Amino acid sequence: MLNHTVPLARDVVEPPANSAGGGLRLGRLNLEVRQHISPGYQALILACAVFVGLGLSAALLIAAGVKPAALFDEFVVESFTDSESLHSILFQAAPLIFVGVGAALAFRVRFWNLGIEGQMIWGGIAATTIPFYEIGPPAARLPLMMVFAAIAGMGWVMVPAWLRLRWRVNEIITTLLLNYVALNFLLHLLYGPWLDPKDNFPHSPQFKAFERLPEIGWGLSSALVLALVFTALSGWLVLSTRFGFYTKFVHDNDRMALAVGVPVRTVTLISVLLSGALAALAGFVIATAQEGRLTQSYFEGYGFSGILIAFLARNNPIAAMVVAILVAMLFVSGRSLQVFYQIPFAMVQLIQAIIVISVAASEFLMRHRVHWVR
Amino acid sequence: MLHFFVNWLAGTPSFAAPYALAALGLIVSERAGVLSLGAEGFMLVGALAGVATELQLGGYPAVALLVAMLAAAGVSLLFAFLVVFLRVNQVIAGLAIVFFCHGLTSLMGTLGGWTNRAITGLHEIAIWPLSEIPIIGRIFFTQDLVVFLTIPIFFLVNYVLTRSMLGLRLRSVGENPGAADAAGVSVSLYRLGAVVVGSSLIGLAGGYLTVVDVKLWVPDISGGRGWIAIALVIFARWQPWRALFGALLFGCIEALIPRIAAAGIQFPQYFLLMTPYLVTIAVMVWAALTKFGRSNEPAALGQPHVREERR
Repeated sequence: MLNHTVPLARDVVEPPANSAGGGLRLGRLNLEVRQHISPGYQALILACAVFVGLGLSAALLIAAGVKPAALFDEFVVESFTDSESLHSILFQAAPLIFVGVGAALAFRVRFWNLGIEGQMIWGGIAATTIPFYEIGPPAARLPLMMVFAAIAGMGWVMVPAWLRLRWRVNEIITTLLLNYVALNFLLHLLYGPWLDPKDNFPHSPQFKAFERLPEIGWGLSSALVLALVFTALSGWLVLSTRFGFYTKFVHDNDRMALAVGVPVRTVTLISVLLSGALAALAGFVIATAQEGRLTQSYFEGYGFSGILIAFLARNNPIAAMVVAILVAMLFVSGRSLQVFYQIPFAMVQLIQAIIVISVAASEFLMRHRVHWVR
Repeated sequence: MLHFFVNWLAGTPSFAAPYALAALGLIVSERAGVLSLGAEGFMLVGALAGVATELQLGGYPAVALLVAMLAAAGVSLLFAFLVVFLRVNQVIAGLAIVFFCHGLTSLMGTLGGWTNRAITGLHEIAIWPLSEIPIIGRIFFTQDLVVFLTIPIFFLVNYVLTRSMLGLRLRSVGENPGAADAAGVSVSLYRLGAVVVGSSLIGLAGGYLTVVDVKLWVPDISGGRGWIAIALVIFARWQPWRALFGALLFGCIEALIPRIAAAGIQFPQYFLLMTPYLVTIAVMVWAALTKFGRSNEPAALGQPHVREERR
């Protein structure tokens, strides 16, 4: 236990304490590095941070012209009572679960996969090649599309992963810049060879019925089932296998892991490839369950949402699923705000960023103990 | 053919200037040990602030550029508070700031009615009589104010960083904050100052994009230039003059894209638009491959300084 306290000289605005006696004695801030924190207290700080973030977001929405009473109604009451909006939340949750779990898998091995959107684009493109070129019999189309999407996502993330593992090229920038490359390629396809001949709009021709993910009843899409299956598989892989233990080892101290014989490179590579595959499946799910074709902006905003979900879920796939459903709630409410209050959808992105900032800031309180000394 | 080259080279500085200014701003903050991943966000803030000012005032592009700097510096205070005082992971904070600025600018652009409205912007200045010299006059002496100012800004920043006490202290904070702290240099204050000054330069780069180059605001107008600038700084090994060279290289490539289209050469445009990003990745690989000996990377880059923490 580190118990000595050192004054935060120059760090925080510090009143001239103990100087010259008399005068104003306000005291000063003392800062202590925590060695341990109880899970309960940690959860409390986290909850407070999320609450502060939501409070700030609510203030922002009210400033943008939403009535306070309507705010509660729109975000909370509607989401749980209205079966239609509950359906759309679960519908929206499927791709978010994929990107969230995908991001978590990469972050677990300290690989900043910011290329989720690029991998989603490639997932969508690869899935669309099957119906576009009519590959395989009707019954095999959907599985083929899924496999193609996953392979494409892995291939796209392979480039930055390999550059990082081979030459230590910073993956934050390479994954991000590859998004722009993927986007330009998508636009090339949609404005060129894949332009829908029926209406000359920049999207691919409509998929046929057997190329779309079916509903499974109660208005739920099989996309959600797929998402849950992959979450369960990832959860099992990460939380109860030797591989999962290795990822934890690599995350905490990769040099130590290497020294005791953990195959650090292989573990990193596999985890990152799975991350790319899951991100690509998010693109596949949107194309086949939601849009029914390849469009030019289906991936927008999912990259950051994936990061946010993994960050809030502490890179735990099962927790990521829960957070993804909450983010889906935000997405659906954001769309209805767009319709009823003309508030741009960028508001949803802003709210997510505010929540990340307040949660990240709260880690200060988890790592340090601050107290006021008179 | 000569016409093509003259137009290409004359167009280069205005594409290079935002890269150069943003890279310089990043160098200032990274030399103090703060990894400013928020560059893309600060550029967007500067870009919107510039257009908004010009639309509200009905002109005054110089004022607009100044406001762009101030706005980016203002947002960077939030970032600095997170990473310098709260010691938040700099990657997380930087990413959050990028998306914060992304959301904020597209929201405010729409709510303020500033999206897709053309402005007059800043025009080119021809320095007579030098601008009358054939070829050279067009390339070097017919540019806008910011391009002309970029060179003195580079001299100034380079001088302060490498030749002044202020710069020595700033670099010491980025190399070994513990030692700097022991020597009586305020780590927090220097990092805060470096982030704010650096971000104002990045904001100027953003303002340049809208006020001088495009003369229009649309969401996400920076199109990854902030990220390219970060890569440029790695390529430049945190040295201002190498960054200027890198910026000129990227300016050359970007200036070539509209020229190729104008010259009537048939090439799929979306593949052309990919080139800056692909070149950036290539340049990063090159920088990684040639990293023998000391790389000049500030030793404490990205590391929070907590005096109370024993390492």
